[in-house]
Parts: sequence; structure tokens; C-alpha cells
Amino acid sequence: MKRIIKYLIIAAGMITTSVTVAQNPAPAAKQSGSVLIMNVKAHIGNGKVIENAVIGFDAGKLILVADATTVKLKKDSYAVVIDGYGKHAYPGLIACNTNIGLAEIDMVRSTLDYNEVGEMNPNIRSIISYNTDSKIIPTVRSNGVLMAEVSPRGGMISGTSSVVQLDAWNWEDAAVAMDKNMHMNWPRMYIYQGGGPESEENQRQRMQRELSVLEQYFNEAEAYCKQQQPQEVNVRFEAMRGLFDGTTKLFVHAGYVKEIEAAVLFAKKHTLKMVLVGGSDAWRVASLLKENSVPVILGQTHALPPREDDDTDLPYKLPFLLHRAGVTCAISIDGSWQERNLPFMAGTAAAFGLDKEQALAMITAVPAQILGVSSSAGTLEVDKDATLILTSGDLLDMRSSVVEAAFIQGRTIDLDDAQKQLYRKYMNKYDLK
Amino acid sequence: MKYTLLAMAAWLAGITATLAQATFPVNGPTDPRHTVFAFTNARIHVDYKTIVDSATLLIRDGKVLEVGKEVSVPKDAVVMDLGGKSIYPSLIDMHSDYGMPEVKREHATHETGPQFLSNTKGAYHWNQAIRSEYDAYRNFSVDGKKAEELRKLGFGSVLSLNKDGIVRGTAAIVLIGNENENDLILKDRAAAEFSFDKGTSTQDYPSSLMGSIALIRQTFYDAQWYKNGGYRKEYNISLAAFNQLKDLPFIFDAGDKQNELRVSTIGEEFDVQFIVKGNGDEYERLTEIDNAGMRLILPLNFPEAYDLSDPYDAINISLHDLKHWELAPTNPAALEKAGIEFALTATGLKNKNDFWKNLRKAIDHGLTEQQALKALTAAPAAFLNVQDKIGALKRGMIANFIITSGNLFSKETVILDNWVKGVRYPIGNSEQKDIRGNYSLVTASGKPSRMKISGEALSPEMYMYEDTLQVKAMAFSRNGDLVTFSFERKLEDPKGVVRYSGVLEEQGWSGNAQLADGNWTNWTMTFDSLITLTEKKDTTAKPLKDIGKISYPNMAYGWKELPKAGTVLIINATVWTNEAEGILTEADVLFSNGKIVQVGKDLVAPAGATVIDGTGKHLTAGIIDEHSHIAVSNSVNEGTQTSSAEVRIGDVLDADDINIYRQLAGGVTSSHLLHGSANAIGGQTQLIKLRWGQSPEELKFDGWPGFIKFALGENVKQANWGDLQTVRFPQTRMGVEQVYMDYFTRAEEYQQQQSRWTTTDASLKTNAVPPRKDLELDALSEILNSKRFITCHSYVQSEINMLMHVADSFGFEVNTFTHILEGFKVADKMKAHNVRGASTFSDWWAYKYEVYDAIPYNAAILHKVGVNVGYNSDDAEMARRLNQEAAKAVKYGGISEEDAWKFVTLNPAKMLRVDDKVGSIKAGKDADLVLWNDHPMSIYAKPLTTYVDGIAYYDSERDAQLREDIRKERARLVQQMNEVKLKGEAVRKPAAKPQILKHCLEEEYHTIH
Repeated sequence: MKRIIKYLIIAAGMITTSVTVAQNPAPAAKQSGSVLIMNVKAHIGNGKVIENAVIGFDAGKLILVADATTVKLKKDSYAVVIDGYGKHAYPGLIACNTNIGLAEIDMVRSTLDYNEVGEMNPNIRSIISYNTDSKIIPTVRSNGVLMAEVSPRGGMISGTSSVVQLDAWNWEDAAVAMDKNMHMNWPRMYIYQGGGPESEENQRQRMQRELSVLEQYFNEAEAYCKQQQPQEVNVRFEAMRGLFDGTTKLFVHAGYVKEIEAAVLFAKKHTLKMVLVGGSDAWRVASLLKENSVPVILGQTHALPPREDDDTDLPYKLPFLLHRAGVTCAISIDGSWQERNLPFMAGTAAAFGLDKEQALAMITAVPAQILGVSSSAGTLEVDKDATLILTSGDLLDMRSSVVEAAFIQGRTIDLDDAQKQLYRKYMNKYDLK
Repeated sequence: MKYTLLAMAAWLAGITATLAQATFPVNGPTDPRHTVFAFTNARIHVDYKTIVDSATLLIRDGKVLEVGKEVSVPKDAVVMDLGGKSIYPSLIDMHSDYGMPEVKREHATHETGPQFLSNTKGAYHWNQAIRSEYDAYRNFSVDGKKAEELRKLGFGSVLSLNKDGIVRGTAAIVLIGNENENDLILKDRAAAEFSFDKGTSTQDYPSSLMGSIALIRQTFYDAQWYKNGGYRKEYNISLAAFNQLKDLPFIFDAGDKQNELRVSTIGEEFDVQFIVKGNGDEYERLTEIDNAGMRLILPLNFPEAYDLSDPYDAINISLHDLKHWELAPTNPAALEKAGIEFALTATGLKNKNDFWKNLRKAIDHGLTEQQALKALTAAPAAFLNVQDKIGALKRGMIANFIITSGNLFSKETVILDNWVKGVRYPIGNSEQKDIRGNYSLVTASGKPSRMKISGEALSPEMYMYEDTLQVKAMAFSRNGDLVTFSFERKLEDPKGVVRYSGVLEEQGWSGNAQLADGNWTNWTMTFDSLITLTEKKDTTAKPLKDIGKISYPNMAYGWKELPKAGTVLIINATVWTNEAEGILTEADVLFSNGKIVQVGKDLVAPAGATVIDGTGKHLTAGIIDEHSHIAVSNSVNEGTQTSSAEVRIGDVLDADDINIYRQLAGGVTSSHLLHGSANAIGGQTQLIKLRWGQSPEELKFDGWPGFIKFALGENVKQANWGDLQTVRFPQTRMGVEQVYMDYFTRAEEYQQQQSRWTTTDASLKTNAVPPRKDLELDALSEILNSKRFITCHSYVQSEINMLMHVADSFGFEVNTFTHILEGFKVADKMKAHNVRGASTFSDWWAYKYEVYDAIPYNAAILHKVGVNVGYNSDDAEMARRLNQEAAKAVKYGGISEEDAWKFVTLNPAKMLRVDDKVGSIKAGKDADLVLWNDHPMSIYAKPLTTYVDGIAYYDSERDAQLREDIRKERARLVQQMNEVKLKGEAVRKPAAKPQILKHCLEEEYHTIH
């Protein structure tokens, strides 16, 4: 009883302090009238660009995306008309493999909700921890990220992620697709030389042990899932049924080339739909990935090369290397607040070999496809959700990347955030403009 | 006589009792002996460079009586005719722990709280790793097994030390005999020993290499103080003992080449010429090692080849490790060629039997035999000032020598005897005849058989031929002249095993054999002919024909030859001057010998200048990163105490950090390397230029005043260090203020004490205690006197405000606030305090509680209020994209592009007080420049060339070539390693050397994710 009281006091204390902290804007109301954006340069997200585009949306869905010179416009039928002259329209960016809403302050344990205890947690669902009121969410939106995959971490099997849109009252409102992607961490298959926390031999033994534990676990899970009426229900194995009937994808986190190879063979053996997450070495086995139709969600490409001898720009050109080899590839950042730099991962990919529109696809259309939400998101195409942004310049280049407007499912998003409020507060204090 | 023979067995028995201790009681009748031994007809290496053939060595009572050609053998001598065999002075290993108690390390766990002081009980040094009072000779005891191991290798004496601690006390020279210790200690206090490794000390301090260096320096100063009167104030066994080390050779177990240079720097400060134990990579920095004038002790533990049969294992091995494997055996030869004096040690060999194999490998790679012998005899003897006793064979010296079958360095040679202080230790069965040869075996009950005895002289193998079938003996052993062997007969009846036993005599072998059917028969075996000693398949690597070249650094992207500055004219570029001229279009910049000569239009290229077309390109000043942790060896934190003002990043620069090159590729030319943020008063920082390939010392930025890292907030109060770390003061921001108040107060008093002392009349000093020189307070005094400047890790407004108040009250200014994420809340106060710089992140936040209010508009507000603002990285990756970070000042807060660019160039130069040298493009300034292919703040921009001091340390075209070179060189070396494996040599399992990423507090393995 004493324990509970103590926590209550802490909670009360937090409420008092939080009064002085800036608030997130209220989620936008449902689209009430149709919107038309004219004269805009539309980046469709699938590699195509319409230089002079018209974009119309109503009831949350795109109803028109076309070259202005090829359609006959009925301007008057739209409730709102926006002149997009000189501006760019992009699909709302989709951040894969994030812990947005699961982590508020990285070093404050009480604010972290992404890493459940235990090695095998297939039944863990990230969505119920997703905090729509995280102060981080509006700051990410401000840079064009309007959807995110919220992923659990840790253990060997971490649990399932869900895809959310980033303007909601609660996680039910936020959810776009739930529990369809299961994350797992492949055992480390390279050995660190001496001096580390574990001897080389111990590392080798641990690797073998983990690999066999994993194999055994999936064998048992598969056998279990063949029973419709198990003798005794195992909630962990129950959560894995989707993996074996093809309705759930397995997101395997692996970087080292041998891990990738092993994971691909593993998925093949158990007939699992695999997605590779991380993939520093994926370029070395691109053909294996292509042949087995394994898409890749690259980890943060603003990264140091994995090895001393590597090309200094290796991580920057990874998207290009995979794209060139015909591998389906998305780019992600593993984090929360960092997601606001997602457009610049694509920018760097464009600086190192890719066409800008191809790079854009890696944070829009391809993530939608991999995450299983491409019927409603990822590109500016009719019948999809009207989830898009307007910028004054090139979204992928921080030099010109200013998001002026954002729409999620047709709703006009308030782009204010706690940081902008603080900015105004202090500009005001110093009497600055 | 066809046999090689050492007929010594006769007098072997009993001689080992000759050296009785004078003071010891004797059980039974005494057995005094003063036998003279005469070794005649020997090839005697009287020292490493003098050989006397057909010479005689006379010894008695453990000493050399005479040696030479014209030595007359006394009648009463025991004479041994060596028949042309060789005598060498026995070898000396001067880095051994032979006979010392085992050093047991307690593995520190995170489950223990901090330990601030030594756990050693008594009036010793406060630091557990300072053990100057330790004397190896007091702890020496004979270890028969290890002694035998050493003697087999040819060693007769070693310098034994306690390999534990930073100041390790004295080492003793001991003889490798099995006698009583009283007879074997040749010199008790023979050398003083040091290292950077605190060993078994469980005390927290020092936790870093720079901390070890500071502790050593402070100990030297403390010892001086103690001698000059400090002893009147306190009794300190360790300091008193330290002063007793004075006249001994100082030996430093350094580690790698960079550590050797660090030792040399310490030596210069205290006027000590250290003898330095290295790790065999000296060839990679030969010039610097040579210039340092050090004498070295080198191991022979050349790296093993990796098993790279799996190409995916191979990718985890760096080019450096591949190159080092190939080049390490050239190290002794390289040092010899450079004229650097060195001794060799068997220490560090996993398998002691590799000693000769590796020594021969070094000789195959160019080390002369003479130098090899010197390095194992005369050199260590001279280093230890015992050249009159060991290391050669001259009248009066210790009778420490080995008898060999031939040239010591030849693979075929065996060491037959090792004589230690006149006592013979036979190696193996050396008294036995060499029985190798072809024989005929005749048994009474069978056909004669052809026999062959071949293999090693000391462990021969026996074969029998039945027709053309060669059968190896199932067993073959001898004990003196008694032999037994057995063969399985396959062709002749009765089939089965025949067992032979017999004696070996001059005229032949003879004995009885029992057949498979149980019947006995007699046999004789007679010598027919010598076997042709076919060279055994040589598995040691011969010098490789296409052996690779060293590069600087000796790793990927290294230079084959270090570059020099020339004269370059860049024409028709967009030039971001960072000066009043602003951004010039179609402008030219001329630089020569490292300095910018002229900026303008239509400049004329001087003769010999390289002209570069800058059309469509942008030229800017190089990026300066105010907050970096690259290029530092070992930890960036000495975070064990609240203040570590005495430690210096400049002591531990790592010129081999690949991140230097990677950052050049991102346009960075200077990095300010900071101590971490684990404590309120961190260590002294170092500004470097990214002169990739140059030595650590040459990275340092000339003419820069010193800085020091301070830190505030969560890291300092250990907020995120776990529940056990709640002991160290301070645990709150309140405490942090008091740390500063206390330290600066002490620094003020320290200065007063120092100045009072210098003005005190000499007569009054006689019985006084002088003030102690304190490296920590020296640094703090420099701050008070505005000779050293603070860059302070800071986040929240309250603490920022506090530090400015502390500074005000002591009359100095806080130079730089780094991170300063809540600077926008106190921008006006910072301006009023005359802060020289706010060095911040563009958009980091939410990674801990104290940055929850951080906003990306921070820099814009500070700039608009009038504070000098910069962006830094604190991250080896982001440093490569600081140009893009600058663009974020435009994005968040609408700073002009021209001003935003200064956030990563001129403004950091100002806060680092080097804006008279770098940070803008102006005649007379350093030619630290970047030529970009695009607008420098665009994400699409890449440096084409990065110049430091006018030298293109990075060039994109050259980079493309280097990548190709790396691929080829790796391929060649991997092939070589595979060949080694094919030859059947030992190879080690591959494992990746982790890249360690350093930030303010965390150091993490860079995983492949």
C-alpha cells in the first residue's frame, strides 16, 4: 500500500509541473469540405513527378491527382482552393521502425515503453503503449513525417509493431494497421576480438546456442500452429499464427552479411514473409535478397561505415547500391525525436547515386508497401488517404526543407509544437523578430 | 668418427652441488669443490661481434677464468673437447616475471561502489597503483619448471619484475638456475619499472590512459617535493622509495608505438631516459621513435595469420591488421637499420617455442644475426649496467653460456647445454650421440633388414624397410646407451610385432628380440652410411617477394609518402570568405606553403603553381568542430574524481583514427578534442588539425591557448549511472556549484602559497615544507589567470547562470558553453557575461531529461541576441555533415546563409581563439580550405578537396584511387594468409576488432546493424 501512495505522489507532482510545459495542439477534426491544391509540383512518391499538378481531396481521400494541363478543373466544386505556386507536394513521409510514442526521454526509464523483459515475446503489441500525447510527435510532423511504424525492441522476438498516423486522440484513432509486423533480432554472428565483455570462445558458443534456440522455438511454434485446438493454449505461439499463415511479416533485424544469409534461409525454411531491418551488409548479398523477394528497411544511413576499410561514404550510398541491384529498399531511423531528419536520409541517398524521386520513394511508397498500408498511403494517388504535405522547397535538402502545410486523411494539421512555442516565448522575451 | 659426440656423461653426476651458500648450515660432510672446467676446441662467441675459433674457455667457481686461443689448460681441469661446437654467452631477457608471485587480477564489477583511495594498508601512496616500494628481489623464488623452459631457449639470466601497477618498484637480475635463491640474485635493485596499466589496483583512479600519465607526472613531482621537505609534513613509504630509484635504469612497459612516444614525452619532462618496452609496431612510426632517442625492448610475438578461408570472415579484418601481420617481422630489421638500440624479449609469446621460430623469421626479414645476438646479450647487459658480468664471455664475468651444435640462429642447430653460473644444465638428451644414419639389422632368425634413423638429432625416428615397404618403429626409445624399439613385421613370419632391446656401442648395436610367437632371437645392427639430411620442409615464412609497403598511417587510406604543401591557385570559384567581402563569385584564391596568399579576381598563377578550375564550385574555409572525441586513444573520460583538471587529451592523441580521414572527407579541418563530461572539472582539451598521416604530436594546432572541459548537470551528478553511483560528490546541481567554489578557492590559495615560497628567504626554507606542485591546481590557476579557457558542457539555464556567477566571483570569464541547449533561456545573461561562444547542436533533444526543453531554434535566438554561436558534432558521424547542420540554422530560425556558414567555421574559430589563423579566407591565414561541388550547405554538396595547411589531405579523385588500392592490397594479403593456412601453419580464428565510438559519456561498440 505504501508503495502505491509513493507513486501517486510522484504522479501528482508531475501533473503540477506539466502545467507550465507547452501543450501539443489538438488533433484536427475530420475533413469537412473538399480541398483543391493548384499549381503545385507534385512528387507522387512512386518515382513520378507532375510539374504542374492539381490535387483534390474530399472526405479524407484523394479524388484528383493530375497534370493541370490535362484535366478540366471544376474549381468551384471545392470548398477550399490553395494556390500551390512554387511549392511542392509530397506524400506524408512514413517512418519505419521507430519508437515514437513509446519513448519520451531516452534516459528516463519511466518514460520508456518499448523493451519488454524476456527473449521470446511474439505476443507483445506495441500499439497499446503508443502515447499520442508525446511531445515528440508534433516536432516530427513539422518536418513532414505523418505516419510511423511503432516497433517494440529487445529480446530475440520483440513483438508486433503497428502503423499509426501522427495526429490522434488515442491509439485506436491513430492505428492504421495493427499487429501485422513482427520484429525479431537475429543473433550476432560475428565475433569481437579480445578485450570485450566476453571471450571469443564464449561468443562463438553463445552464437551457436542462440541460433539453435531460435530454430527450436520456431519449429515448436510451427508445430503448435498446425493445431487448431491445442491441448493447452500458449499465448506466445498463438501470436505467431500469422507468421505461418502468411498474414504477418517477420521483420528481422540483422546487419552482418552472414546474419542476413542465415535469416533469409531461415525464413525460406519456415516459409515466412521476411523483411530485413538494418542491413549494413545487405548490398553484399543483394541478389539473394532479390531472388527471395526480401525487402530491406535500411537503418539510419547517416552513419559511419561499419568497418575501418570501407568506403567512407558506404552508408550514404547503400540505398543506391540496393536499388541498383533491384532490391526493394526503404530508409529508416531507429529512434523517436530523430525521425524529423528522415527526409534528409533520402536527400543523402539522392546525393550518393539515386534520383531524388527514387530516394523519396524510399520514405513514402516503399515503406507503405513493406508495412502493408500501400492501399491507403505512401503515394499521391486517387483513392488513397489524403495524407500529404506542402513545402516551400526541396523537402530532402535541409537548406530549403520547410513544411508549410500538412494533411492527414484530409484533415488540416496544426503544425505548431512545444518547441515552436518556446521559440516564440523567448523571441518575445528578447523582443526579437 | 662419424658420430657427433659429446662425451660428458661421465662427469655429469654430482656437479650440481658445488655452489653451497656460505652462511648456510650443512647436513653431513661438506663438499667443497672448485673444479676448473676447460672447454677446448670450441668456436667461442666471446661477445656478440667477436668469434674465436678453436678456442678454449676456462671456468671455475661460476666465473670465467680465461677465454681465447692461447689459453693453457691447467692439469687439474676437467677437459671437454667440444670438437668445433659453439659457445655463446647465454641470453638475457630483460622483461620477465620469472620467479615472481603470480599477479592476480580482481575483475571489477559494476556491483561495487566507487573506491576513491588505496586499499593497501599502511603509510603508502594514496594510489594503489603506485608501488615504488616494491622490490622484486625480496619476492623472488626459483621456479624449476619455468627455469627449465627458459634455459631450453638459451636464457641464462633475466630481469624479473612484478608486472603490476603503474610505478612497479624495482626489478632484479636473476640467474636461471635451480640453486638456492641466495646464489641466483645477480643484482637486487637492477632497474625501476613503470607502466600505464594500474594492474590489480581496484581503485577507480586512474581509469584512462591520460589519467595514468597524469598520475605518473604528479608522482614525479610529489617525490621531488617529498625530498625537498615534504617528508617533514608526512611520512610516505612510496614517495621515499620512489626517490631511491633515482640512479637505476628506468624501464617503461609502454605498449604500442604511440604509447612509446608518450613515454618519451614524460621522460623529457623529468629528464629521464626511459628504456621502453614496446609491442613491435615501431616500424609504423620509425622516424618519431628514432627522434625520441629511446632504447627499446621488443617482443617477438608476431601476429598470427587469420583463417580467412571464409571471405565474410575476411571482411571483418582490417587492412591494418593484415598489413601488420605481414610487416611485423620486419620491425627488428627496420630498427636495426635506423640504428635504434634494442633488446629482445621472449615475453608476450603465447607459446615459448615460437621464440626461435619468430627470431629466425625476423632474421629472414633482414635482422642481422649479429644484431639479434646483441639484442639478447650485450644490449640488455648494457641497458642494465651489468655488461661486466653477463652478456659476454670475458675474464671475471659470470660463467653463463650455452653450447650449441652450430650457428645459434640456424634452424638445424640445437642447444646442447646451458651453463648457469658455472653449473651445467643439459638440454634434453644432449649427451647422447647423434645416431642418425643408415643401418643394417641382422637377426639370427630372419633376413637382414635395411634400417634408417632420421629426423631431429635429439628425437630421431626409426624406420625399417621390408622390401620396398617403409615401416616406422612402433616405439623407439633410448636411455643413455640402452635402446628399445619394436616393429610390426608384415611380410616375414612369424607376422606380428617384434620387440628389440639392446645396447649401443662404438662398433654397433646388439641385443635380443622377442618375436610375435614368443621366441627370442639375438640381433646386431651396424652402421652403413650417413643419411642425407634433407632440409625439413621449411614452414617459417621467407621474406615475401612482394612484401607490402608501410603507409602513414599503416592502414586503409594511409599515405605511401607524406604529402607536402605546394602552391595552388583555385580560379573562378564561388568563394565564401567569411570576411567583409562576403561571398565572392568567379573569384580566385592563391595559397602557398600552407598560407593563403591572395584572394581576388584574375589572379596570376606563379610559376610552378597548380591551377584548379573552380567553375561551378564553392570554396570555403575548413569546418571547425568545437566538440569532438575522435583521435583519442583509450578513454576520453577520467571520470573517477570530481575534478580531473590534471589530465590532458593532448597526451593521448591517436593519429591512426580512421575518423580523421572520414571527417576530412566531410570538409572538417580542425577538431577540438574534449575530455568527456563525467565530472564537473574535466581534463585539458586539445585542438588538432586533421593532418592525416602525421604523428600525434604533429596533429596539434600551433599557437592555440589551452582549454579545459567543464561539465554540468546529469552526467556530473551521475544521474544516469545506476543506483550504486550515489556516493561521489556532487549528486545535485547544488553540489556542482560548491565543487567549483572549493576548487577555485584552493587554486587561489595555491597560487598564493607558490608565490610566497618563491619570495621566501632561502635561509628560512631550510626546515620548512615547500608547497607541493599540483598539476590539478596548476590547471585551475591558469583559468584564474585567463591562460586556460573553459569549454563547459551545459544544458539547463540554472546551471549556466550558476557557472557565470562562479566565474564572476573569481574574476574570469567562461569562454565557451558547449551543448548549451537551454542557452536561449539565458542568452541575454551570456551576452552580458561576455561569453565567447555558444557551441550547440542544431536539433538534438529528448535524449535525457535535461534536454527536454531543447529547441532547434536555440542557435538562432543566441545569434540574434548577439552571442557568437557555433554548431558542433560530439559525434564522429555527424561531424562529417556539419555543413548540413549549418543549413539547419537557416531552416530553424531563418539565419542568413552567410551567417549560418560561420556557425561551423569562423565562429568556432573565434571561440577557440584561433580566428587570427583559421576560419575565413583571407591572405595570411592558414590555407585550411574546402572545395565543394555544390552550394556547401546543400545536402547534395560533397567536398572535392579538403586542404589543411595547403595540403590536400583529402581529394575525391585520390580517394577513388585509394579505394581501389585498398581492395587490391587486401586481396593480396588475404591470399598470403590463405597460403599460410595451406602450408599447415597455425592460424587463428577470425574476430573483428571493434570500432569504438566515443561521445561525452558513453563509449559504444560500433556494431554492424
